[in-house]
Amino acid sequence: MRNWRYIVYIVVISLAISFPFYAGVHPIHVATTILSLLALALSWDILLRGGQLSLGVSAFFGIGSYTTVLTHLNWEVSPLLSIVLGGLAAGVVALVIGLAVLRLRGLYFAIVTLALTFIFIVIVRNLTDLTGGAIGKLIPSVIFGGDPAMIYWLTLAIAVATIITSEIFQKTRIHFALTSIRNNEIAAKSSGIDIFKYLLFAFVVTAVIQGVVGGVHAQRFAFVSPEESFSLTFTILPLAMCLLGGSFSTLGSVIGAGGLGVLAEYLRLMMPRGHLAIYGLVMVMAILLMPKGIVGTIREQLVRRKTASS
Amino acid sequence: MLAKLRQRDYQILIAFIIVAAILAFWRPHVLISGLQRGSLYVLIALPVGIIYGILGILNLAHGEFMMLGAFFAFSLVTLTGIDPLIAMLPAFPAMFVVGIVTYRLTIKHVVRAPLNQFLLTFGLAVMLAEMANLIWTTRPRIVWVPYAASSATIGPITFGTFEFVYVAAAAIVLVGMFLFLTRTRAGLAAMAVGQNPRGAKLVGIDVERTYMMIFSACLAVLGPIGALFLIRHAIFPEVGGPFSLRAVSIVAMAGFGNLPGILVWGIGLGLAEAFVRSFRGWGGWADIIFFGMIILVVFYRSYQRRVR
Repeated sequence: MRNWRYIVYIVVISLAISFPFYAGVHPIHVATTILSLLALALSWDILLRGGQLSLGVSAFFGIGSYTTVLTHLNWEVSPLLSIVLGGLAAGVVALVIGLAVLRLRGLYFAIVTLALTFIFIVIVRNLTDLTGGAIGKLIPSVIFGGDPAMIYWLTLAIAVATIITSEIFQKTRIHFALTSIRNNEIAAKSSGIDIFKYLLFAFVVTAVIQGVVGGVHAQRFAFVSPEESFSLTFTILPLAMCLLGGSFSTLGSVIGAGGLGVLAEYLRLMMPRGHLAIYGLVMVMAILLMPKGIVGTIREQLVRRKTASS
Repeated sequence: MLAKLRQRDYQILIAFIIVAAILAFWRPHVLISGLQRGSLYVLIALPVGIIYGILGILNLAHGEFMMLGAFFAFSLVTLTGIDPLIAMLPAFPAMFVVGIVTYRLTIKHVVRAPLNQFLLTFGLAVMLAEMANLIWTTRPRIVWVPYAASSATIGPITFGTFEFVYVAAAAIVLVGMFLFLTRTRAGLAAMAVGQNPRGAKLVGIDVERTYMMIFSACLAVLGPIGALFLIRHAIFPEVGGPFSLRAVSIVAMAGFGNLPGILVWGIGLGLAEAFVRSFRGWGGWADIIFFGMIILVVFYRSYQRRVR
């Protein structure tokens, strides 16, 4: 009964790839946004599997955005390469921060990553000559000449790469390392797991993903500004998506991103201001009522039914 | 939790006094405005420290709750025309009720589950700020009272005198909390719960009730603080965010559960920010100071850890 799984994968992937051929411009736009949020949600979840709560998604997102735009503008790097550079810049920042803060336990990690967002807003706003200050920077042309289908495929490729990364993290020994670190660090350490190495690796990989997503976002809208690129929305939305769908699994973030992403588009139209309150509410409700998320709860029910019947 | 002063703490204290003395001669207004600003940080960080010490919850929504208290006071002032200082009185029980409701609905279910509770308070912070955005919009609100602009001149420097109310309030809250935790039965019970919840339960302390009372009391303090904040600052839904972050950072820098440390780091942060602001053209960088400080602390601690 394993084969139907692959059939489902193939159907979903071919549907996703052919999406621009039968959908209008607006749905493509919405789908692109959802896919980039999916990548953010999943990358956040990968780190959470090691028990590290990062609140700095928007920091790495913004670093990626700014690096992309600045290298593209100042050094005339091609758009795609500049996106890669954006990811690398986010990775380097994560490496430097991670070297210090991942040695400490408790909530240092969450606090430092949260502070990172605010700090980069201050840096970007004050380095007026380089970053354009509070106004931000514009780039003259959108990536791929603004072709929505191409941008969609690029985002899809990143989302799929994130899903594959997540699955690699789930299927290899990294999964056991991260899970044991989350559940009992002392036990993990005494089993010979180099906690620091695994956490740092996961942190840098997720930061690179977030930076790349930020780079694509900047190239897609062709502008960066402190409030827009480092907006806390890019932390809050992925967190709400992941928590709603179910943490510690690839499928959870995918389902959460799909569900909440579609909802988010309508909310944005219906509630121009204050629509983030809904995501705050979703986060709180998910933690209180459904700590395992949609996927975890359904899985639990299935297991219970299976054990009851056998 | 109220750790005995160790030798290292004395060294920090002495270094602190030396820095303050240098500032007093070099840039006296930095000392004054830093003290005033730092007291505000201490005021907001102290309840966070106490909630962490007893409930084990790091409340990331504390600045947002202060924003709520400030908006409550603002509504009272605009609706009834009373003085903001009088609005402090009803703000206290109002925030106490908010505390009880928040505890009952949310915090109660995540006590001692470290990852979830931090996420939960983050969600609460988002919810509060955005709900304030829905109700009161992002427009900055101010209340004008004549005494808020009072100032005094000593020799060559002129400074606002009203802000000393924050210093006084910080002193009152600090002493009040210290007396409560060490001299009253309820306070001692709360300390016992903070040290060992199971042990406290065994000797007959109602742990659940203690959690609720401490959490609500720490939020209730924010009502009057919000009213005081309102007198001197414009308020808007996002005003609480930076304070939440600073409060949590101060608690982290002091070392979780070290209350005297909160005082030192809070005032120190205020002084450092005022110091950077005192250079012309560098004011925009002041917000980065607390991050620089927390990064330094983190690097220092992780270095210490590796050496051991």
